[in-house]
Amino acid sequence: MKFPVVFRSILLSLALVLPASVALADAYEANLPDELGTSPRMCDYVPCAEVLPGATSFSERKGQPPYVEGYAEENGQKRKIGYVMLSTDITDTPAYSGKPVVTLIGMDTAGRFTGVKVLKHSEPILLLGIPESALIGFNQQYLGKFVGDNIEIGQSRPEENLIGLDAISGATVTVIAQNQVMMTSGTNIARQVGILKPTLREPAKFIETGVKPDWAKLVNEGSVQRLVVTPEQVGLPRSGKPFIDLWFGYLNQPDVGRTVLGDGPWRSLMSRLKEGEHALFVIRTGGIESFKGSGFVRGGIYDRVQVRQGADSFTFRDLDAVNLYGLEAAGAPAFNESSIFIVRSKAFSAAYPWKFVFLGNRVDRATGTRSFVNFDSEYWLPEIYLEGGRPEVIKPDAPWVRVWKARAIEIGLFAALLVAVGTLYGFRDRLTRRASRTNKWPVNIFKYSAWLISIGFVGFGLLAQPSITQVLTWFHALLFQWTWELFLTDPFIFLFWIFIIVTVFIWGRGLFCGWLCPFGSLSELLYKVGGAVGLKRFQFQLSRKWHDRLKWVKYGVFFGLLAVSFFSMGLAEKLAEIEPFKTTFLVGMFNRSWPYTLFAAGLLGLSIFTERPFCKYLCPLGASLAMPSTFRWFGLERKQECSNCKACAVGCGSQAIDANGRIDHRECLHCLDCMVLYTDCHACPPLSQERKRRTKAGLPLTPIGADGYYIPIKPVSAAKAQAA
Amino acid sequence: MINPTMPTDPAKPPYADHQGVIGHLAAEIWDHLWPWSRAGFQQQRAVQAAGLALAVAASLVWILAAMGQLHAGAVIGWWFGWSVFEVVVRLGSKPYVKEGPWWGRRYRVASTMDMVCYVGFKNLLIGATLFIALKSLGLLVP
Repeated sequence: MKFPVVFRSILLSLALVLPASVALADAYEANLPDELGTSPRMCDYVPCAEVLPGATSFSERKGQPPYVEGYAEENGQKRKIGYVMLSTDITDTPAYSGKPVVTLIGMDTAGRFTGVKVLKHSEPILLLGIPESALIGFNQQYLGKFVGDNIEIGQSRPEENLIGLDAISGATVTVIAQNQVMMTSGTNIARQVGILKPTLREPAKFIETGVKPDWAKLVNEGSVQRLVVTPEQVGLPRSGKPFIDLWFGYLNQPDVGRTVLGDGPWRSLMSRLKEGEHALFVIRTGGIESFKGSGFVRGGIYDRVQVRQGADSFTFRDLDAVNLYGLEAAGAPAFNESSIFIVRSKAFSAAYPWKFVFLGNRVDRATGTRSFVNFDSEYWLPEIYLEGGRPEVIKPDAPWVRVWKARAIEIGLFAALLVAVGTLYGFRDRLTRRASRTNKWPVNIFKYSAWLISIGFVGFGLLAQPSITQVLTWFHALLFQWTWELFLTDPFIFLFWIFIIVTVFIWGRGLFCGWLCPFGSLSELLYKVGGAVGLKRFQFQLSRKWHDRLKWVKYGVFFGLLAVSFFSMGLAEKLAEIEPFKTTFLVGMFNRSWPYTLFAAGLLGLSIFTERPFCKYLCPLGASLAMPSTFRWFGLERKQECSNCKACAVGCGSQAIDANGRIDHRECLHCLDCMVLYTDCHACPPLSQERKRRTKAGLPLTPIGADGYYIPIKPVSAAKAQAA
Repeated sequence: MINPTMPTDPAKPPYADHQGVIGHLAAEIWDHLWPWSRAGFQQQRAVQAAGLALAVAASLVWILAAMGQLHAGAVIGWWFGWSVFEVVVRLGSKPYVKEGPWWGRRYRVASTMDMVCYVGFKNLLIGATLFIALKSLGLLVP
């Protein structure tokens, strides 16, 4: 259909007439040659020499996972000076966009990184805002560092032998993912080529019981495991059959081995193994894909299966495979492909958990591009077969867990702030009753404190400014690859969104927008400061007519971004620059080109003279939160007299109260000024009248009830009084 | 007389006086899922006809999705188109929304924006649930 193309072209043209300095990042969604992922001559398609300076020629891809060797010419002779690897050949770790950052990595023969080049990324934050050079700068930190070092994002901790890398402000998730990519790729190849020594694990000591369990029992106890890959997992149309259905198990353990192979074949197999060698069987019971690979050649490597234990990978050559003709275990399924693979390494130990990995390619059906992906299934020999049982294994924390641990204090403070503001707002009735039109400090002290903390600690300190781009990113992740770990890697944004979702449901968007949004807080603080320093006479509100027209613009912006995101997420991310959040908090006013700085500064400057112009008329995030606010559970109170009285409406800074005294909860920013008046017997006209009437009549002034009126005086009848 | 405690005038859906909790909930669920009403149908015959056609098309899309024949983007596009249409239908057939918590029984007349918010949010929840369910069952091509 042509329409999307035309539509896309128009939008692209629109994007290009945006400020001239909008630089289209080079590697953002770059078109990489299709051959890059498959061709043996990888370096014909990417600039390998850039990441391995001095290299004049390169080998074909070799090894599993693949890498290439780089050579320098010396006296007419080739000398190996290092290795070049493509990150997506080794790991499919996704970054913030849910897609991997395709990186070309160079490493010398001593295991030191020599160059890093980002070939392709889909990171929205690097599209505009944070320049791509920031990621390049980040990658430069790896140069000269040893692949075996403990390299993490954050401060160096020499006492723990930890080398810290400076993160990119505002792109923490991206750089954490990138660090994982760098270290996984580097260590993988370094171990393969012998730079890093394999981990030494204590060999397993088996218990031989003499029992021969059947297949079902083997599966049930975990001695035989299954790995199923479905067609849709590799981007193929769904069908009733699996892409591949594999069963595998460890054979050195006598009870398991004898059961699976039978006594004779097992003894024969064991007699062929040397010390430190391990056998495992693999059978295919479903699917038409071969786990050995259709392109397998004699002397080559099986490039579809692998065993991983910790950071060590074990691949198989043709000599590491033995034919498997049949299974002896009672109840074993029929199979149409089989093999016994030999792990020839003392680094492997059956006492510890390991993973059987099937390596595949996922085809993007829309673009036809292939990306590396792997599927694994964990195996750990049951403890009944191990002398002394299973050893204790301490698994390293996931990257997001490390982030939460490293920033535990800040996370605690931030969570406390959210809980405190939510709780305070829950008690708003008590606060507003203590305040009056002339003294709003019982409310404002908390609101202003929240603003200051939000601007200083949350905005400039934690860079936790929620944004419409996060909503679009979730959308993207939902479509492509939703990984909780990705969102958990930014704990502040994660917690903030939980707070936003909960409070929007309960009270509407006003609590976030009016009390805790860093940019909104800064904007209104400037307005208050402007008024306090003598600029009040220049401060203005748009007329009701123009306000009622312009307030719809933000919804247009939101729907526009949403519609564009259906066609091009990248373009939507670019257009989301209408939010000045990146310029203000994430990147900094002085770190961006002048159009952005001018836009953000202009909005903040305008905020001195009119209250929250961006929040009222432009903010797409505010619009997206305003829509569910229509159905907030608890709104602000009104009296019947509010339909005639304009007292609250006149003082409503967000202009959310209309001529009939009704509150538009989509526009209300919960300043609580109207709620202060609601119970102020000197400011709320119906209350004031009643107060005067009672005072004149000598009647007592009863407390003000939940309905906003004095509790009525009900005279007790004489008869009842006597009876009492 | 204007009631300022609500953003718009109060309204009373046919099931508002349903006494039983379960009956009331069932009526509301039906109301969420079925945008048409007899009265609205009489008023908007042309729109209804187009609506039925769109409903068939939307159902087809879901069936195709269930058969693994559709890309996720197309489903979302259909969802968006259907939502726009539902807003128009509801404004003619069931022009009211709930005010306050979901367990309450206060209703009010829906403005166009109220209806956009209601339909958008409701369909987002329904769509996301179906989308995630289809994806987790492997019925939707990524």
